[in-house]
Parts: sequence; structure tokens; C-alpha cells
Amino acid sequence: MSSRKGQRDAARVVREHLAREKRRKRTLWTSVGAVAVLVIAGLIGWSVWAGQRSDEFTTPKGASDASTGIVIGSGAVTIDLYEDYLCPACKQFQQLSGGTINQLVSEGKARVVFHPVAYLDRLSTTGYSTRASAASGCAADGGKFKEFTDALFERQPPEGSAGLSNQELIDIGAGVGLNRDDFGSCVSDGRYKPWTEHVTEDASRAGVTGTPTVKVNGKDVEDRSPDGIRAAVEAAGR
Amino acid sequence: MDVTAARTRAIRWPVIRPWLGVAARLGLAAVWLIAGATKVGDLAASGRAVNAYQVMPYELAAAIGAALPFVELALGALLLLGLATRLTAGVSAALLVVFVTGIASAWARGLAIDCGCFGSGGQLAAGQSPSYLPEILRDLGFLALAGFLLVWPRTPVSVDGWLAGDAHVEDDDE
Repeated sequence: MSSRKGQRDAARVVREHLAREKRRKRTLWTSVGAVAVLVIAGLIGWSVWAGQRSDEFTTPKGASDASTGIVIGSGAVTIDLYEDYLCPACKQFQQLSGGTINQLVSEGKARVVFHPVAYLDRLSTTGYSTRASAASGCAADGGKFKEFTDALFERQPPEGSAGLSNQELIDIGAGVGLNRDDFGSCVSDGRYKPWTEHVTEDASRAGVTGTPTVKVNGKDVEDRSPDGIRAAVEAAGR
Repeated sequence: MDVTAARTRAIRWPVIRPWLGVAARLGLAAVWLIAGATKVGDLAASGRAVNAYQVMPYELAAAIGAALPFVELALGALLLLGLATRLTAGVSAALLVVFVTGIASAWARGLAIDCGCFGSGGQLAAGQSPSYLPEILRDLGFLALAGFLLVWPRTPVSVDGWLAGDAHVEDDDE
């Protein structure tokens, strides 16, 4: 009697042990599978990103030595401007301080390196930041970078829109005196899109996390008002 | 009266708990899927958002920024399926702790950045003030969902339950 009960108990213990073992194995394998999925997902992201980076680019005329921006003027003090053609704060900055910067350049006190970064591609449905920046490279080739940049800020499309079409960019270029055929094919071909990527990545590497960013002789300028910029340039020039 | 109330509560909890679990699981899945989807379209921007925290070299930040949206999407998909729920909840909780720490440290260092949690990210324009506290509170809410699933990973309508063969068996050792 007691031995039969003992056998039953033993059988139950074995059954429970086997069931526990099975559960343990199942948990182990689902965990291994889930970890593999997460690791593979991360590697996919990394390789997609690595594949998207192009390391060959054509440099437009008038670019700085490292090809990270377009140079305007030849003064002793360098003003680096990091701006996105879609960024409303950049437009405000241009309206507020653009005149002062032009003056500093024409007085021969400063030279501007304008970095047309494409930080806000997600804020238009057509990658307007990249297209506009690449088009500005085309305008630099035609010697009208400054004029084209001013015109683009004047016609700045709102964030979240499709932005200006390539045709509109070409019309604006022709409007500031660029050769419609040369400029047009450069814009349509997206000739300077790899350059835009280079400019953008260089800015990220330099710690530029937002636009507009202004540096005078490599130092961040917090006060972006006309007075602030003039003061920073004069301090740097001394 | 009191006894009845206590008894109904005692009865209710086992009945409600699995469905709270489903809600937590699907809620957390939605969080990860949305977070991943808003970032996956511009991996370079995602890298910049990570770099804006200024806690690691640019190259590393860019690589992590590229991998992160895909990991988030994978976490969302695993939670949606209910596969290895306890593990994915644990990974979710760990990631959220990292995010909260990052935001808190940006706050403490006086950086003016967007957390980049759901797209955008990076430095804020002049005049915009950061919203660190709401961002942290939101992440703590998500952390609570992950914590629930860590403690009670077994939920109905899940691959885990299907693999176990019997969704009604309440063994919490998955």
C-alpha cells in the first residue's frame, strides 16, 4: 500500500521534473532567439547606415580647404555659419544679422565660411534640406552662392511641407543670374548631394547639434545679434 | 460587506491581471514601434540626436544612432508577438533606464537639447526651452509597463502562451 503510493509520488516527481526541464529549455531557446533578433536588427541598422555614407564627393568652386563650406570674402577673422535652408531660426538670423556680417566682410575684417548643412531632411516630405544645399553647391560653381542663399531664405518653405521643387530652385537660380542650362542640369542631377552629406557630417563631427550655429575663429558665439557678432569678430581680430 | 469586497477583489485580480498584461505588452510595443519608425527614415539624424548628448565620441554616437531605431522596431515586434516577453521587457527596461539617465544628465549639465525620443532631436533653437521633466516622466511611465511585464510576463494571445500549450496555466517562470 505505502509502496504503491511511494511509486505514484515518485512518478509524479519525475513528471514534474521533466515538465520543468522542458519549460526551462523552451525559455532558453526563445530567449536566445529574441536576443539574436535584437542583435541582428542592430547590425542591420549599422550596415544600412554604413552603406548610405558615400565617401566620394565633388567639391564645388569656392569651397573651403576641407570642402566643408563655401568661402565668402577674405578677411582675417573666420566666421563659420552652419545653417539649414529649411530652418526658420536661420532665416530670422539672416534677417537680423546678415547685414552686419556682409558689412564685416566688405570692410575686409572677416571672411565667412557658410556650411549649408542638411539637418532637417525629415521636416520636409522631399528631403528639401539636402536638395537646397546641393543646389547651393551648383550656385557656388556659377559664382552666385551668396545671392542664391539670400534668395532661398527669402523664399523659405514652411517646415513639414514638400519644400520648393527642383524646378523652383532652378527658377530662383536663373533669377539671381545663373546660367539656366548649367545650373539646371547640376540641380536636376543632384551633383552636389554627396558634398552636402560631407558638409553635414563634418558639422556633426565638429559638435554642431543645431542650426544656426555661429563660430568666430572656431569659438561658438552665443549672442547671435548684430552687436554680438561684431563684438566677437573685433575681439578675435585684436 | 467588507468580506465580500475583499473576496471579489481577490477573485478579480487573477482575472484582470492577464488583460492588464496584454495592455502593457501592446502599449510598450506601440511605444517602440513608433519610436523606431520616426527615426528609421534618417539614420544620420538619429546619430546626431545621440551625439547631442555629448557623452561619447561622434563615430560611436553615429553608429549607435543608426542601430537604435532598428533595435526599437525589433523590440516592438517581439512584444507585439509576445515572444520571450520577460526578456524583451527586461531589455526595454534597461534601455529606458539608459534614456532617463541620458536626459537627466543633459539636464544636469545644462544642455539645451531635444531628447530625440520620437524623431527630431539635437539642439533646440534659440528661445525654445527643453522639456526634460515631461520627457523623464513619460519614460518612467513606459518603465512601469516594462516592470509589469517583467513581474508577470505571461499574457493571453502571445507566442509564449501558445508555445507553453496552455495559456491558462499560471506558471510565471518564463
